[in-house]
Amino acid sequence: MLNLTKNIERIIIRNIEKQYIASYFSAPNEQNDDFKALNLKTNKSQFGPRRPLRKVKPVETRTSQMEVDQDWGSVWPAPRSFHPAVVPLPIRQGYVEKGAPPDKYANAELMKIPNFLHLTPPVIKRQCEALKKFCTPWPKNLNNQEKIEKLFPIEVISSDYCHSSPTIRDPLARIVTIRFKKSALNLNERETDKFRRLVGERYNEENDTVTIVTDRCPLKKQNYDYAMYLLTALYHESKNVEPWEELKNEADMEKYVWENNASKVNVERLFNKTSSEIPNISVYSEALVNYMNEGENDYTVAKYGEAVKQLLNLPSSTK
Amino acid sequence: MNISSIILRRHNHIKNTKLVGRLFYTAVEEKIEIPKRIPRGPTDILRALESTLQRDPTAAHYKYHDDPYLMPKSNTSKRTYAMAEESGRKAAHWVRSENPELFNHKECDPAIDLFFPKQVYDENSEVTEKDLKDVIGKNQVSDAIVINKILTTKGIEVSPETKQSLLELLCYNNSEDTLDEEYIEERWFKQSSRLRERQRKTWKDGNIAEEIFISIDNPTADAYSAIIQGMAKYFQVDRANQLYEEALQKGFVLNADAYNSLIRVANFFKEGYDLRWAYINNILLSMNQAEVKPNLRTLNALLWALSTMGNSKNIKDLTLKTLRQFKDLGIEPCLGSWYYVLITFCKERGPKSNILGNILTQIEGKEFSIQDLADTNFFVTAMDVAKNHLNNIVLGKRVHNLLLKGNNYNLIGDSYKESVYYRHYFGLVLMNTSIDEFMEQFYYKMVPNIYVPEPAVMEDVLKQVEALGATEYLPKLWSDIVIFDQNLREKLINIVLNIMVDNPAKESSELAERFFNIAWDIYTTISEQNLEKINRLSFTGDMLGSIMTVILRYGDFEKACTIMNDLSKSHTTILGVPKFDALSLFVDHCIKNKSPTRAIVCIQYAADSGFPEAVSLGAKLNQHLTLDEIHLNKLSNIIDLKLQ
Repeated sequence: MLNLTKNIERIIIRNIEKQYIASYFSAPNEQNDDFKALNLKTNKSQFGPRRPLRKVKPVETRTSQMEVDQDWGSVWPAPRSFHPAVVPLPIRQGYVEKGAPPDKYANAELMKIPNFLHLTPPVIKRQCEALKKFCTPWPKNLNNQEKIEKLFPIEVISSDYCHSSPTIRDPLARIVTIRFKKSALNLNERETDKFRRLVGERYNEENDTVTIVTDRCPLKKQNYDYAMYLLTALYHESKNVEPWEELKNEADMEKYVWENNASKVNVERLFNKTSSEIPNISVYSEALVNYMNEGENDYTVAKYGEAVKQLLNLPSSTK
Repeated sequence: MNISSIILRRHNHIKNTKLVGRLFYTAVEEKIEIPKRIPRGPTDILRALESTLQRDPTAAHYKYHDDPYLMPKSNTSKRTYAMAEESGRKAAHWVRSENPELFNHKECDPAIDLFFPKQVYDENSEVTEKDLKDVIGKNQVSDAIVINKILTTKGIEVSPETKQSLLELLCYNNSEDTLDEEYIEERWFKQSSRLRERQRKTWKDGNIAEEIFISIDNPTADAYSAIIQGMAKYFQVDRANQLYEEALQKGFVLNADAYNSLIRVANFFKEGYDLRWAYINNILLSMNQAEVKPNLRTLNALLWALSTMGNSKNIKDLTLKTLRQFKDLGIEPCLGSWYYVLITFCKERGPKSNILGNILTQIEGKEFSIQDLADTNFFVTAMDVAKNHLNNIVLGKRVHNLLLKGNNYNLIGDSYKESVYYRHYFGLVLMNTSIDEFMEQFYYKMVPNIYVPEPAVMEDVLKQVEALGATEYLPKLWSDIVIFDQNLREKLINIVLNIMVDNPAKESSELAERFFNIAWDIYTTISEQNLEKINRLSFTGDMLGSIMTVILRYGDFEKACTIMNDLSKSHTTILGVPKFDALSLFVDHCIKNKSPTRAIVCIQYAADSGFPEAVSLGAKLNQHLTLDEIHLNKLSNIIDLKLQ
């Protein structure tokens, strides 16, 4: 409908145009979609006389008014990118083939790098003083790392985000991480084995720590609850013995254990004694376990040889 | 794609805090007591950090860009820049209201109503009482009127409470929309307060508020209170009084604010002070009978009425008595009350009163929030009293300290009041301290970011510099005058030139060069003014003479010659003549530079201007230089050279 009226308008205007084509030519053209007349011969009279360019005087920067003992924390109160007119330091940054590095004015290098001009030591000190009133004292009895680990075995880590945008939500805030020592669970060998199979790569052998990160729920609270659920489930599942677990035989063992193996029976048969009565048996079994678990290398093989000789009372090759 | 970009962006944001807590506290051997978390609001930490900051005197207000080219340096540019930003904001609002369908994306969470396009109501909108309540809550007067109209045409009944709140809204705003709260800058720069002080009837007779009041069958006491307050606020005093009588007859108990509003307009009913006081007492008596408890606004209304009742001792006693009685009632006066006390006690033609000191001892060190519109008048009036009434710098400093305490600066009012305040403060300090202290402690710290001196204040500063001969501050002051666009004010230029002429700088010192620069700067700015400019500043003879003197002292003979040329060429158009000393100095320099032609031009000018001493100039020239025939002829044509 609107288009139609526009078209009608245009037709009317075209008619008028035909009548007054000469005068219309220079009239202000209100229709946006009409072409402008192509002017091949540039008519210089179209442009007015050129105005002389006004020279802009270079202005004094704030740095020139700054006093030496000014309060820098108030000048640069929050993180911001570098501004040469505010920082009263003759900083240079960047690289040129020959000559000194470029100075601070219009220096993109300085603007790119993060600066810590808002966190000078006196500022940190006085901000800490201001924040002290929100802090509670550290519990007196909780004075060493051992106690902390013993009494508070689980560490929960989550983050809050603060930025200028219409929304106060941040998807990253939902992520919850919990961390604890495996030893705090007091599991026996079988349970430990099952627990390690369940947590997989979340267990760090070096420092005996289990780390569980939950981020599948939309809210922090939900993720926290889920992490706690996982911890509980892991613990009880490790304690639980399924009927099929009893069926585990020698081939399923993840480690070679001498006591359970044919080697023990053979040695006992050879000496016709129980293994505990055989002299030097512990050396032999240790060497064999090492050989089986660590794999075959010069060291384990040599060690094994030595142990066999000791066991059978043969003269040692090194002697 | 979209989400990943958002997440990427988020990653760049600052990670604010890391919460690390350990759980599963198991008491084994010893009891470990974990202290309770100290409760805090969502912004308490930010406020605590903010409290460590001070005002940076080199920075402009944070609404401006921190860039040397974009920092406003004069009052006009301050206003222009801020209003430009505001107009951008308005343009954005306009675009949004023109194309509301484009702005339906809801990024914000929790939802911010102001970000969404405004609901538009017309005759066909489906509205309910809830909509009416909403718009009343948001102070949208015209929308409330439209919705009310639709509801009545459709015959939807509105609960009496909503009707009452609608009536209150309309009465408070005189059935007009107010300026949007978002336009802070417009409010700051608008000089509305001065308009508001003019008291005339602005209540629209027969407006919608009245219609609604009539439409209520059996109006309640609250309805009467609302309409009386509205009428009194917009000075429809006769009908307010009439309705008041009506309400009294019906035996209604009005609320305290209705009585307050009637006290405020008492000066419209009764001419004489005694009659007026009797009338006010009457209202107070009926308040007492109705057992309405007076409040802070009652106190302010009373003090305001008292402040309009002249200068007699009796009124001042009454003021103090009122204050004491309200104190007994447990009503602490606010800054607005003290403002009324000040204007009662410190009248222009009245005797001096030291009440400001007493008031300050009462309120010093306290933080205030706004309780009455008149609160914003306190600081400017207090400084006015400190300067013009008492001329007491100690009091002035105490007022200023109170202003800087906590959030008290919010009560400065608007830009106009702020600049009046600083005008008084500057004047007070200037008159009562040494010029060095003034410049170091006040001028350098406040100009131009906190306050830009008006030409009159600048004149006072220059006069002080002139009186004390503190010429070392002149270059700084002149550069400020240039920055503040005051360099075409004749008064300022004359004072600057006088200072430079009367206090010659040591030869070939840095100051001499600066003086020369200032003088030449004055000359070029005046001569390079746009020809089409209205109110052009034109040279006076005296001005040019002074400029020439300063330039000659520095020793730039060529530039002095151009000025001499100007003088002699436009002899008829330039007002006044330079001092004779200037001309004499010029001839001296001509002799020094051995250019008799120019000296003769000067002597010619001196003779034309009617200086009888022109003869002595000619004699001097003749004495020091051997003139040739032509020069001698010319010279003798000008003056009777009878010396040889």
